[in-house]
Amino acid sequence: MKSKLIIAIAAMGIAVLFSSCAKVPQTEIDAATAAIQSTKDAGADLYVPEAYQAMVDSMKSANEKVEVAKAKWFPNYTKAKDLLAKVNTMATDAKAKTEARKVELKNEVTTMIGEVKALVAENTALIAKAPRGKEGKEALEAIKSDNAVAETTVTEVEALLANGDLLGSDSKIKAAKEKATSIKAELDEAIAKKGAAKAPAAKAAKAPAAKAPVAKKAKK
Amino acid sequence: MNYNTRGFPPGYFFNTKMMVLSKQKRIRWIVIGLLSVIFVVITICVIIVSQRKLPTDDLRLAREALSGAKEAEANIYSEKMFKEASQNYDSAMVNWARENRRFILFRDYGRAINFAGRAKKRADEAAEESIKKSSTLNKDIESSFVSLAKKIELYNKLFKNLPISRSVFDAHNKSKMFLSESKIAHDNGKLNEADILYKKAEIYTNHANSAASKMLRDYFNDYPNWSRLANDAIAASRGGNKVILVDKVAHILYVYQSGKAIRSFQAEFGSNWMAHKERNGDRATPEGNYHICNEKNRGNSAYHKALLLDYPNADDRRLFAQNKRNGLISRGAGIGNLIEIHGNGGKGFDWTSGCVGLRDNDIDDLCRLVGPGTRVTIVGSLQPLSVITSGTDF
Repeated sequence: MKSKLIIAIAAMGIAVLFSSCAKVPQTEIDAATAAIQSTKDAGADLYVPEAYQAMVDSMKSANEKVEVAKAKWFPNYTKAKDLLAKVNTMATDAKAKTEARKVELKNEVTTMIGEVKALVAENTALIAKAPRGKEGKEALEAIKSDNAVAETTVTEVEALLANGDLLGSDSKIKAAKEKATSIKAELDEAIAKKGAAKAPAAKAAKAPAAKAPVAKKAKK
Repeated sequence: MNYNTRGFPPGYFFNTKMMVLSKQKRIRWIVIGLLSVIFVVITICVIIVSQRKLPTDDLRLAREALSGAKEAEANIYSEKMFKEASQNYDSAMVNWARENRRFILFRDYGRAINFAGRAKKRADEAAEESIKKSSTLNKDIESSFVSLAKKIELYNKLFKNLPISRSVFDAHNKSKMFLSESKIAHDNGKLNEADILYKKAEIYTNHANSAASKMLRDYFNDYPNWSRLANDAIAASRGGNKVILVDKVAHILYVYQSGKAIRSFQAEFGSNWMAHKERNGDRATPEGNYHICNEKNRGNSAYHKALLLDYPNADDRRLFAQNKRNGLISRGAGIGNLIEIHGNGGKGFDWTSGCVGLRDNDIDDLCRLVGPGTRVTIVGSLQPLSVITSGTDF
């Protein structure tokens, strides 16, 4: 009888011991929370929003699992711990993806900056070649202004890039490229038109009766 | 009394044994009773605890609803509701954790369940509202793009070739840039950003268009005078004489004879053509009645060939004197001269100092048609503003 009593008391003791031994996986929770924060600091919520959201959802689910375990007589945090480990893996993965996306975006923007700069320079050269007439600059002011807007945008994009705003610089440089390309097309068209207009004049210049050009009179 | 050999009274051992046995029995019964009580209590506790509803499912549903709302970008388009949903979810979690810290029998998850339910409801509403709002915003932005593109098109159609101030075409160019950025943001699904950029584009477009339209309206205040001049010129051609009629807005030089336009040529003017010439160097092309006073053939003109006009006429001199008197023209300024119809044109923009520029083969043709003494009437436009703008509201 005595031994039965001892066994019963021991069983209860073990049960109490077990229940008090399963501790909340606070270290894992803290680690996962820190991993998420570090991923957010890296910009994952901006550059890989889907991966970031999946990670945040998993963390919430892990927290729920912790509470589910806590609510039991004999808490078992294995599932929560597994999920927290998964969150850590997801955080590492999201961070790597963020860095990769940043590099990709930076390269893309840098390449486009180069392209737009080249286009702006090309446009500036084309403006010099474009039909000017005797007074020159005034008529090309509109195109020049357009080109200047594209050039200013490049400067703005470079500043954004220096501040690490890759997304902002990406959309801005795309718009600048679009603009610079359209200016080039406009200038090409004007130069082609000038060429077409000059062709008959060149023919006429070959005529034997042609005399030396008369000096332009400025007064109008 | 009989005593046994050990000196104990008879029945002593029996009685003692009986006493021990009854004591053990009592203890046993007490233990059984206690264990039964413990068993019953534990059973009741287990029943109570197992019957108690945990907020697990409610929180899972709330979390999924929040995730769905985030996917629907409720955090952007239904920010307030989404925030409420998130707060309710957080409150549910806090309540759940608090209850879990209490003794198991005294836990009550009712509040956590309530918060979770509210979180789900709010998240669902937020998602729904976000979808509606983003759809409306998307439609609004798309229609705004169309209307802004029309305004830019209007500018290109009506104002692009007008001699407009730098600040106006700078504004026009900026508006085009912001519109491009807005379209890129829209294509990337960033509707709020697209909306902000669109609004910037709209501000610049409205500024450019209103400044340019004011300039155009002001210029067309002279239309009745142009109309009279043009009718006189056409009437003067009825006798068989050739008359040149120049429409500056249309950029066309007509040759009229017997009241009909027999030829027309594309013309280019001074860079400040949308004004009547008032002084030298203003790069404006004069408006009024003139005559060809000299013909310059190849070799005599720097612009292939030229027909020199008798600018300034009497009206120009009168206006010049009046403007000088009124201080509108500086004392040292001259009235200008050497206004010609000449070649070297066909450049596609207004480039002269105030002359009328034609293509070389066109000036050749014109020189064959007209000569010194031919009347040249230059007007702003032969058509009223409403026709020029095709009735467009600007």
